[in-house]
Amino acid sequence: MQTDVLIIGNSAAGLSAAETIRKYDFDKKITIVSKESGPAYSRVLLPYVLRGKLDYDNLFIRDGNYYIENNFYYIEGLIVSVNTESKTAVCESSEIIKYDSLLIATGSNPVKPPIPGIESEGVYHMWTKDDLDHLMPHFNKDKRVVVIGSGFVSLQAAWSAVCKGLKVTVIELADRIMPSVIDNKGAEILTGKIKECGVDLRIDTLTLAIKKRDDGTFVIDLKDQSSIEADFIIVGTGVKPNTSFLEETDIDIDRGICVNRYMQTSVDDVYAAGDVAGGPTAFGDQHQIHALWPTAIEMGKVAGMNILGKQFVYEGSLNMNVTQMYDMTVASMGQFTDNLDCDEHLMPESSGMGYLKICAKDDQIIGACLIGKTSAMKIFGMLRPVIRLNKKLKVDITRLESDLQKLTYGVAH
Amino acid sequence: MAKQEIKKSCCRMCGMLCGIDVNVEDGRVTEINGNKAFRANRGRICIKGSSGVTQLYNPERLTKPLKRTENGFVEIEMEQAMDEIAEKLQSLQADYGTESVGVWKGEGIGFAQQEGLARRFIHGIQSPNYFSNDTQCFAGRYIAYNMVFGTWPCADLRNTNLAVMWGTNPPASHSYWTQDINDARDKGAKLIVIDTIYTEMARLADLYIQVKPGTDSILAWGLIKQLIDQKMVDNEFVSKFTKGYDELEAYAQTYTPEYVQEKTGVTPEQMAAVIQHYRQAGKKIANWCGTGLEHQANGVNNVRSVGYIDALIGAVDVPGGMMTVEGFGARSLEIDIEPSLMSKAIGREQFPILYGMRGECHTLLLMDQILSGKPYPFKGLVMTAADPVLTNANTGKVEEALKALDLLVVKDLYLTETAKLADYVLPAASYLERSELQYNGINQTVMLTEKVVDLGHQSEYELFKGLADRMGIAELFPWENEDELNAWLIEPTEMSLAELASHRDGYQFKPLTYEKIHRALERGEKPFNTPSGLIEFTSGHLEAIGMEPLAKFQDAPEYLGVEPDEYPLVLMTGARKVMYFHGRYRNLPQLEKVMPKAQVEMHPADADRFGLNHGEKARVISAYGAIDIHVRVMSAKEIVPGAVQITHGFKNANVNYLVGDGITDPISGFPALKSVPVRIEKIIN
Amino acid sequence: MKTVSIDRSKCVGCRNCEMACAFARTGTTCESQESNIKVNHYLDERVLMPMTCLHCSEAWCMSVCPAGAISRNADTNAVVIDEDRCAGCKMCMLACPFGNIHFDNEKLVSRKCDLCDGAPKCVEHCIAGALKYEDMNDNAAALRCKNDHKLIAQAL
Repeated sequence: MQTDVLIIGNSAAGLSAAETIRKYDFDKKITIVSKESGPAYSRVLLPYVLRGKLDYDNLFIRDGNYYIENNFYYIEGLIVSVNTESKTAVCESSEIIKYDSLLIATGSNPVKPPIPGIESEGVYHMWTKDDLDHLMPHFNKDKRVVVIGSGFVSLQAAWSAVCKGLKVTVIELADRIMPSVIDNKGAEILTGKIKECGVDLRIDTLTLAIKKRDDGTFVIDLKDQSSIEADFIIVGTGVKPNTSFLEETDIDIDRGICVNRYMQTSVDDVYAAGDVAGGPTAFGDQHQIHALWPTAIEMGKVAGMNILGKQFVYEGSLNMNVTQMYDMTVASMGQFTDNLDCDEHLMPESSGMGYLKICAKDDQIIGACLIGKTSAMKIFGMLRPVIRLNKKLKVDITRLESDLQKLTYGVAH
Repeated sequence: MAKQEIKKSCCRMCGMLCGIDVNVEDGRVTEINGNKAFRANRGRICIKGSSGVTQLYNPERLTKPLKRTENGFVEIEMEQAMDEIAEKLQSLQADYGTESVGVWKGEGIGFAQQEGLARRFIHGIQSPNYFSNDTQCFAGRYIAYNMVFGTWPCADLRNTNLAVMWGTNPPASHSYWTQDINDARDKGAKLIVIDTIYTEMARLADLYIQVKPGTDSILAWGLIKQLIDQKMVDNEFVSKFTKGYDELEAYAQTYTPEYVQEKTGVTPEQMAAVIQHYRQAGKKIANWCGTGLEHQANGVNNVRSVGYIDALIGAVDVPGGMMTVEGFGARSLEIDIEPSLMSKAIGREQFPILYGMRGECHTLLLMDQILSGKPYPFKGLVMTAADPVLTNANTGKVEEALKALDLLVVKDLYLTETAKLADYVLPAASYLERSELQYNGINQTVMLTEKVVDLGHQSEYELFKGLADRMGIAELFPWENEDELNAWLIEPTEMSLAELASHRDGYQFKPLTYEKIHRALERGEKPFNTPSGLIEFTSGHLEAIGMEPLAKFQDAPEYLGVEPDEYPLVLMTGARKVMYFHGRYRNLPQLEKVMPKAQVEMHPADADRFGLNHGEKARVISAYGAIDIHVRVMSAKEIVPGAVQITHGFKNANVNYLVGDGITDPISGFPALKSVPVRIEKIIN
Repeated sequence: MKTVSIDRSKCVGCRNCEMACAFARTGTTCESQESNIKVNHYLDERVLMPMTCLHCSEAWCMSVCPAGAISRNADTNAVVIDEDRCAGCKMCMLACPFGNIHFDNEKLVSRKCDLCDGAPKCVEHCIAGALKYEDMNDNAAALRCKNDHKLIAQAL
């Protein structure tokens, strides 16, 4: 078959691109190919459904008529290879799709750490709707779960288990939790909260093997510690871009697909966006993979605009994270880690916002992280353009909120 | 399908009478919205206005009459209550004289027509003793403006070039004026705010001037001197339309910029800036005074001296200046009484101008008279929606006096602090439960409000007619119902009730006109309703009773004479809060949550001086009493140092325990509510 | 399409808008923390800034919501949150550069101005006339909102 635009992937980046194109051009033939069944759903919502905050049906973020109403041609199937010379893609079903423009928005897959027994039935990830479908029957009181890994996804999975009354153990190889989302102090505070919530959280712990017993339960052997038992296991030790079907192309790949400010890959008429792509950041990085929902939305929009020929330049991605877990709002944005050469400003306790650190360099805010209260979130919202557009602001932490408002609203002294 | 309709009324959650559209579904009020076609508020209402629904159906409302017995209040039937009250009033009058009873109209239910009914009734039963809340708000300014202009003028804010707000904060007290001022600002008008507090109004001001409490008149005289010195007086206007200029000019000489600065804290530069604004505004200047000036020992003269400024500039009866408005020509409910009776009116001897202009007695002297029985016994009082326990000065004495009465009847929506002292408590109907004439002076409109719902409560009309019928003056209340009364009231206007009712958004009975004084002069008529027929710098009213006729600054605030060690701070009371109206609405849950506790508002330097922290409780002490209250430390720019402010109307921290009744304005008899010497102490547990 | 325009030069900070919004939303309280409109007062600068959702034409909160809970009401053009779909993840708060999305700590969902289905209570209660509900295609209205548009352009 022939299409004007072929989008591989049916999630944030792919849909954002498709909708952007559709906004300006209703006739262009857009084909969306997804390897997953069913209408588009939101990966971000998996833990919320798992813990019962949202109904399962709310997972689906576009309704059944969406593809027809928007004149999207939807194919369920796996693309196994792409030929950028002939501008064709081949489906698992051997169908060949000829395109004018290609957008690769295939996302990422969970990494499987090299632990013996990790392939056993009953060892899950929490990354896709299929994973959720597998996990949900296990989320009953009295069950025991071991979560391997303590990143953003793992800890949300563990929190969901806590909410559902399970007995939860989290095993982390490193000496702290969530290195990419919060700083050391934040990790320390959150660790305390996680333990308060009844989670057996073990850092500096190496998982040696996963052993499945005949009764279906597991024994997890740990280095220098006694083994622990579990009814099921969730593994969340990071993700990697989904690029294997591109091996025979000339597309530059450095972990992720390298894209420029137009979301163009190294090959003409081939674009990439979302978790699969490494693109420019607000801090000058060339090819950074974020694997974050907001970044995917932005990249998709930029790709869509450029597929339309609108010469739309991406100002660079800004990493941002937020979630509610362990009765805390956990959020971060930009650069906030401990090893940076910058000034750190801590919000005083009297603000009631919790632990909020603002990092600044030469009167320019470069990042922030929070383990605290919702009331701090407005600061993050206002920070986004301030960081992105390199707006100057001398940080006086006690009046940061009002200074940010003044900057935002153009209130001159 | 629910039956839905919109009924038209005027809001009476405060005194501004904004036009409201009341949504009624199956006979129940569901929502109150602003009436977009109403000239005054143009569709906008404040939070009190929309909270009228909560008030209407408030479960705390009284539903049955209460009678005090040995075992506390018991519910009785209305007929029994009315019979017993009428009988008691009659027996008191028989035993102690007809003047031994009185009525007191409060702020909670209605002004105007409801006030007229109360006056008619008390005069009908041969007592001169009509009291109201107005003798602590409004009557002082009414007297002052009438002395100068012979009328209660209106500031033509919408058309002005320069609004000067003296001690008044319209956003909290006169909501739609804020819109008027902004409309004028849209056309380039400037705003000056003169206040001890950096109020909501001050936030818009082109020039904000902070004065020391009670010294506004010194500033006004300083400005008068500048107007004279800088040849800004409209000599033609002054010679044609005013009396007493020479005395004014001579007296003003004292008020040099240096003297003014010393007394008020206002710098010569600030004064020069005000004068510059006056110069640029031409004649479209509207000075307006609020209770900040009125609630002072020098209250009437504070307001008069500001009125002089408009007169000197000639900003009178011109667009954007002080407007003299015309009436509808409807009947008054008031009836005359015998001069021999009138002479017994409480306070008439001490404050003849108050009684002469307002026909009102003096509430502070009433308390003394109840307690002393001098010069004659006063035994019975019928109050409608007044809550003087919260709102009158010297609460301790108010409580003592009211308890000493043989008969206290309180008609109200709620069991107020005052009602708790009553012998009989009668449930009242609210503004949504009656039909009446409501006027708007600035727009010269009248509106016949619709009776929105009938919840079975007795109206003011039914109260006074019911008592009149029982007390042998039925002929004074011949109307079967409110509609008949309303028809009688407007009969002289040649407009039928039906026609008036057809103007559902109000009826402008006359277009606004200016330059009326010039036409009056041409016709050989007196342009102003003063003794001389002119604007009076030297008041004929005062000359007639041998008082100083010029509005000299002669009653300095008490705090200036007090040994600072004992009472180092001056307490100002009564700054209004948007969600409350005097003692009202702390029982509307949604509003109460916004400001649940009374606060003493103070300057950070004063907080430091007395070791107080924001949010903690402190004790404020005056010569009259003490209250414990939460501290609110304001920003340094928001309040004049050395002064604290406490809003009245909080029953758990009732500031009127601190306010004395000893110092009063010599003309109006107003207590100095905004200049009370106090000290403040940290409460150590 | 109509929206709430803000003329900050007229705001007195009386907070009737906040109280009306809070009550319209909750039916039980007028406390400002329950309001979707906020009046910010900068005393030193003598500026009052009522801020409520601008219903941006390119609403970033709507694009970024991972739950598809934010949409545009076809009748009023308001950007609205479906609280049944909202996960409470706060991504929209991260997205809004104006701080105009708030959080309902009882229901654990985001909340924001929905223009009261076309009869905004804040405007009705703006006794100063600083807020108006007017058609943004109208020139005068557009002028009033020029500052807002500039802000949006800057921030997005």
